[in-house]
Amino acid sequence: MVMRVVFVVVSLFTLVMAFMVVSHPTLFSSALYLVATFLGVAGLYVLLEADFLAVVQVMIYVGAVSILIIFAIMLSRGMMGKRTSSHNRQAKWVALASLLLAILLLYFITVLMRWPAVQAGPVPAGAIQMLGQDLVGRYVVPFEVASVLLLVALVGAIVLAREREI
Amino acid sequence: MLNYAWLILVFPVLGLLLNLAFGRRLSDRTIGWIASSAVFLSFLVAVGLFFTLLGMPVEGRQHELMLWQWIHVDLFRADVKILVDPLSVTMGLIVTGVGFLIHVYSIGYMEGDKRVQRFFVFMNFFIFMMLTLVFANNFVLLYVGWEGVGLSSYLLIGFWFEKPIAAEAGKKAFLVNRVGDFGMALAIMWIFKLSGRLSFLDIAANTQAIAPAATGIALLLLLAVTGKSAQIPLYIWLPDAMEGPTPVSALIHAATMVTAGVYLVARTFAIFLLSPVAMTWVATIGVVTAFFAATMALAQVDLKRILAYSTISQIGYMVLGVGVGAFSAGIFHLMTHAFFKALLFLAAGSVMHALHGELDIRKMGGLREKMPQTFWTFLIGAAALAGFPLFSGFFSKDEILWHAWQHAHWMWALGLLTAFMTAYYSFRAVIVPFLGKPRDKYLFSHAHEAPPVMTIPLWLLAMGALLGGFLGLPHASLFGKWLEPVFASAHVGEGAASGNLELIFMGISSLVVLAGIGLAYYAYMVDTEFPNRFRKSLGFIDGLVQHKWYVDELYMAVIVHPLWELAGWFAKFFDPKVIDGTVNGLAWVTDEVGGGVRKLQTGLVGWYVFSLFVGAVLLLGYFMLVW
Amino acid sequence: MTITMPSVSLMPYLPEIILLVTALLVLLVDTVWGDKRWLVWLAFLGTLVSGVAVWWLAQGPTLQLQDMLTADAYALFIDMVVLIVAAISLLLAYDWLIEHNEQQGEYVALLLFATVGMMTMGAAINVVTIFVALEILSLSLYILTGFARERLTSGEAALKYFLLGAFASAFFLYGAALLYGSSGHLDLIGIGQNLGTGGLMAGAGVALLLVGFSFKVALAPFHMWTPDVYQGAPTSVSAFMSVGAKAAGFAAFLRFFQVALAGSYAQWGPALAALAVLTMTWGNLAALRQESLKRLLAYSSIAHAGYALVGLAAGNSLGSSGLLFYLLAYAFMNLGAFGVAIMLEKPGSGDVMMSSLRGTSRQHPLLAATMAVFMFSLAGVPPLAGFFGKLYVFGAAVEANMAWLAIVGVINSALSAYYYLRVTVLMYMRDEEAGEEEVAVSKPPVLVFALVVALFFVVIVGLWPSVWMQMAQQAALIFG
Repeated sequence: MVMRVVFVVVSLFTLVMAFMVVSHPTLFSSALYLVATFLGVAGLYVLLEADFLAVVQVMIYVGAVSILIIFAIMLSRGMMGKRTSSHNRQAKWVALASLLLAILLLYFITVLMRWPAVQAGPVPAGAIQMLGQDLVGRYVVPFEVASVLLLVALVGAIVLAREREI
Repeated sequence: MLNYAWLILVFPVLGLLLNLAFGRRLSDRTIGWIASSAVFLSFLVAVGLFFTLLGMPVEGRQHELMLWQWIHVDLFRADVKILVDPLSVTMGLIVTGVGFLIHVYSIGYMEGDKRVQRFFVFMNFFIFMMLTLVFANNFVLLYVGWEGVGLSSYLLIGFWFEKPIAAEAGKKAFLVNRVGDFGMALAIMWIFKLSGRLSFLDIAANTQAIAPAATGIALLLLLAVTGKSAQIPLYIWLPDAMEGPTPVSALIHAATMVTAGVYLVARTFAIFLLSPVAMTWVATIGVVTAFFAATMALAQVDLKRILAYSTISQIGYMVLGVGVGAFSAGIFHLMTHAFFKALLFLAAGSVMHALHGELDIRKMGGLREKMPQTFWTFLIGAAALAGFPLFSGFFSKDEILWHAWQHAHWMWALGLLTAFMTAYYSFRAVIVPFLGKPRDKYLFSHAHEAPPVMTIPLWLLAMGALLGGFLGLPHASLFGKWLEPVFASAHVGEGAASGNLELIFMGISSLVVLAGIGLAYYAYMVDTEFPNRFRKSLGFIDGLVQHKWYVDELYMAVIVHPLWELAGWFAKFFDPKVIDGTVNGLAWVTDEVGGGVRKLQTGLVGWYVFSLFVGAVLLLGYFMLVW
Repeated sequence: MTITMPSVSLMPYLPEIILLVTALLVLLVDTVWGDKRWLVWLAFLGTLVSGVAVWWLAQGPTLQLQDMLTADAYALFIDMVVLIVAAISLLLAYDWLIEHNEQQGEYVALLLFATVGMMTMGAAINVVTIFVALEILSLSLYILTGFARERLTSGEAALKYFLLGAFASAFFLYGAALLYGSSGHLDLIGIGQNLGTGGLMAGAGVALLLVGFSFKVALAPFHMWTPDVYQGAPTSVSAFMSVGAKAAGFAAFLRFFQVALAGSYAQWGPALAALAVLTMTWGNLAALRQESLKRLLAYSSIAHAGYALVGLAAGNSLGSSGLLFYLLAYAFMNLGAFGVAIMLEKPGSGDVMMSSLRGTSRQHPLLAATMAVFMFSLAGVPPLAGFFGKLYVFGAAVEANMAWLAIVGVINSALSAYYYLRVTVLMYMRDEEAGEEEVAVSKPPVLVFALVVALFFVVIVGLWPSVWMQMAQQAALIFG
C-alpha cells in the first residue's frame, strides 16, 4: 500500500515536471524542470529496485546532460533569456495527434495487452555484475560499435562549435 | 548473309557517331551525306536479307540471330536477339528505303538551318531505334525500340523549339505516348507472368498459356497501338506533331513510326487471334478512327494538318485490316501508304520551302506553273491516297475493305464512306494550292521549284506510289505470298476470296472514289460557293467538325486540368514552403552568427511532426487490428 | 569472479574497420598536413581498399559475429552499393570542399562514419545493432546537412532533420522494446521464431519499427523532412544521403521483414503495399510543380522509395532481388542528377532554380546530354538502368498476384515522365531569357570524372543488367 502511494506521488511529480518543461516560457526554467523530471525517473527506478540504473540516471542525466544544457543556454542567450512562447500555429494539431497516439498506446498497454505474468521475485544478487558481463559478452559488438557513435558525436560537436574562419 | 543481319543496326549508329564526333568540323552538306549513306548501307543490307530469304524454302524463312545475352533472371530471359523473317525484312526495307530518300531530301530542305548536325544525329538515331523495334525478337527489346522512337519523335517535333508551340507539341507527343506505353508495359508483364516467355516465336508456339487472359492482354496492347499509331482515343498528339520539320513529319509521323502499332498487331497476331472480342475492338477502333479523322481532314486549311489527319485516317484503315484478320493486307497498305504519304509530305515541304513556310492553302493557288515537278508528284501521291484506280492506294485499300465486308458489313460501309471523303479532301489539297488563280500575289511571285536534291527523291517516291500496288494484285498477290509464312497459322478470311464478287467491290469503290474527286473538282473549280453553302446547311455539325469535335478541349477539361490542380494542391497544402518561400510559425531558436540575430525557420516542424504522428497512429491501428 | 570475454573474430567487420581507420587517419592527417586536397583522396583510397576487403570476404565462407553482425552475400551486396555511393560522393564533394576551405577533414571523416553506419545497417542481424548503426548514420548526416554554414537554410535543414530524426529514432526504439517484450529476443532469427501472430504487443512493435524505417527511407507520410533537408543541405550531401541512406535503410528494412517477419507476410504485405501507393503518388504529384531542382529531385527520390517498396511489398524473391537491384540502379542515376546540379548551381546559392536551366544545352551541350540521360533513366526509359529497376519490382508485384500495385506503379511512372521531361525541355527547348548573362559553369575535372562514372554505369547496368541482377539474386538467396 505504502509502495503504491509512493509510486503515485513520484509518477505525478515526474509528469507535472515534464509538463512544465514543455510549457514554461523561459528556456532556463525549462532546463531546471528537466532536472526535476530526471530525478523523478530516478525515483521510479528505485521503486523497481533497480538501484544501479537509478544511480546512473542521476549521474548521467542530472549530473551531466542537464548541466550541459544549462551551460549551453547560459552561453548562448544569458541566464534568464527572453521569454518565448512555446506554442506555434500547429501546436493544437500536434497536441491533438499526440494525445490520440498516447491514448491509443495507453489503452492497449493497460487494457488490451495480456502481459506475460511473471512472478516478481527478489532481484538476484549480482545483477550489476551480470549486466556488466553481458555488455562485454553477449552485447560486446553493439557496445563497441557504439563507440563509433560517440566519436561521431565528438567530431560533430567540434564542427558545430568551431568559429568560422573568415 | 543472315548472320550479318546485325549490320543493318550498326550503320545508323556509325553515322550517328561520326556526325556526333566530327560534325562541328564538317560542312552541313557532308553531314547530310554521311547520315544518308549510313541509311543507304542499311538499305543494302535489307535488300540483301530480302533476296537471301527469297532464295530459301518458304517454310524456312525465319532466322534468329543472337547479339548478346541481355537479361537472364531466373526464367525472365530477354536477349538482344534479332528476328529475320519476311515481316521484319519488309518493314526494314520500308524504313531504310523511304528513310534514305527522306534523308537525301533533308539535305536540301535543312540547308541553312543552324542545327543541321543535331538534326541528322537525331534522324539516324530514329532509324536505329525503328530498326531495333522492327527486328526485335522479344517484347523487351521491342519495348526499347518503342520508347526510343518515341524519344526521337519528341526530340524532332520540338526541333525548332524557338517556336514555343513546337516544344509544347513535342512534350504532348511524348506524354500521350506514355499512356500507350503503360499498356505495353503491363501487357509484357502479364504475358510473362502467364507464359514465362518473352520472345514472339515462343509465345506464338505456346498460346495456350496466355489464352485465359488473351482479351485483357490484347486490349492492353491495343492501348499501346492507339498511342503510337495515333488512333482513338490517343490520336490527339499527331496533328500537333506537324510543328516539326517536314522531313520528320514524312519519315516519323507518316511513313514509319506511327505505323509501328500496325506492325505490333501483326507481330503479335497469335495473341490477338486468341480473342475475337479484342479483334473486334481493334477493327472497330480502326474504322471509326478512319472515319472521324477523315471528317476532321475535310475542315483543315493547313496543308500539313490535312495530311496529318489523313495519316490518322489511313492508319485507321490498316488497323481495320489487321483487326479483321487480314494481316498481310494491313501491312500491304502500310507499305503503299509509306510511299505515297512520304511523297505527299515531302511535296508539301517543297511547297512550304517555296512559300517561306506558308501552309495555309487559302493563300496559295496556281502553283502548278511555278513548281511543275512538285505538282505532278503531289498529284500522283494524292491519287494514290484517294485510291484512284490502279494507283497503289487503290489495291491496298480495296483489299482491306474486301476483308472488312466479310467481317462486318457496316465496317465496309463506313470504310467506303471514308474513301469518298478521302478522295474529296485529297483532291481539294491538289486543286486549291496548285490550280486556279494565285490568291496571294506576293507569295506567288516568290515561289520557285525546289533543287534536284529534293525533287529526285520526290520522283522516286512517286514511282513507288504509282507502281507499288501491283505487288499486291488480287489473285496474283506477290506481297501476300511473301508474307504468307509469317501468318501461316492465321487463316482468317484469307483466301476465301470469290473472284467475281471482289471485282464487283473494286468497281464500287472506284466509282465512289471518282465521285469524291468529281465533287472536289466541282466545289473548287466550277462552283466555288458550293463549300460554303454546304457548310451552312450542316448547322452545328459544321462547328463540331471545325473544332475537331472538341476532343482536345475535352481532354484538357477532364484529365489535364484536374491533375494539374491536384498537383498544385499537393504542393501547396502539403508543402507550404513552395508557395512563397517563407515560413510561417514562430522561430524556436535564434542563431547569433555575425552579430545580428537571424531566425531559423522551423515553424513547419510542428506540421511535419503532425503528419508523422498521424501516420504512426494509422499504422498502429492497422497492425494492432490484424496481428 | 572471473569475467569471460567471448572470443570473437572481427573479420566479418573488416570492410567497416578499414573505413573507420581511414576516417581516423583523415582526422589525424588533417591536423598535420597543409594540403587538404589529399584528405579526399585518402578517403577515396579507403573506400577502394574496403571494396577489396568486401570482394575478399565474398570469396570465402559466410562469416558471422555472434548474433549481431554478419558478412553474408546480402550484407556484402549492400557494402558494395554503399561503397560506390561513398566513393562517388567524395568526388562530387571534392571541389566544393576546396572552394569552401573549411573543415574538410571533418567533412570527409563524417562521410566515412556515415558510410560505416550504412554498411553496418546492411550487416546487422540484431535489432540492437540496427539501432546503433542507424544512429551512427543519422548523427553523421545531421551534421553533414548543416555543413554549408554560410547559408542559413543549411543549418535550418540540419535542425529539422535532427528534431524529426530524434522522433523517428524514439519510435524505432520503442518498437524494438515491444518486440523484445513479446518475443524475448533481439536477434532477427530469434524474433522470427518466437513472435507468432498473436498479441497486440507484437503488432504494435512492428508498427513502430515500421515508422522508424519509413522515416529513414522517406516513405509518405513520414517524408515531410526530405524536401527541406535535400534543398538546404550542401548538394554533395543531398546526393550522398538521397542514395546512401536510402540504400542502408532499405537494407535493414528488407532484412528485418524477410527474416524476422517472414511468417506474417499476410499481415504486413497489404500495409506496405498501401504505403508504396501513397508514397509514389504523393511524391510524383508534389514534384509536378516544383520550381527548385533540388526539391524536385527530393520529391522524385520519395517517389522512387515508393517504387522500391513495391519490391518489398511483393514479398517474393524476385521482389527482394529487384529491390536490391533498384537500389544499385537508383544510386548511379540519382548521384548523377545531383552531380549535374552541383555543377550548375551558382556559388553560394546552394540550389538550382528550374528557370536557370534554360539554354543549358546550347552553352554546355555535353552536360545537358548527361543530365538528359539521368532524367530518362529516372523516368524509366529503356534500356537505361532505371528501367530494369522498375521492371523487376513491378514484375515481382505481378508475380505476387498484386497486379493492381504494378498498375499503380506504371501509371505513376508515366506521370513522373512529365517532370523529368520538363528538365530536359528547359535545357533543350528553351533559350535563356534575353539579357540574362551566360551561366558561368566551371567544369572541375574531378567532378566531371564522377559524372562520367555515374553515366557509364547508368548505361552499362542497362545494357548488361544480368550481371548485377545475378549479384542481387545471390544476395537475396539468404532469405531462402
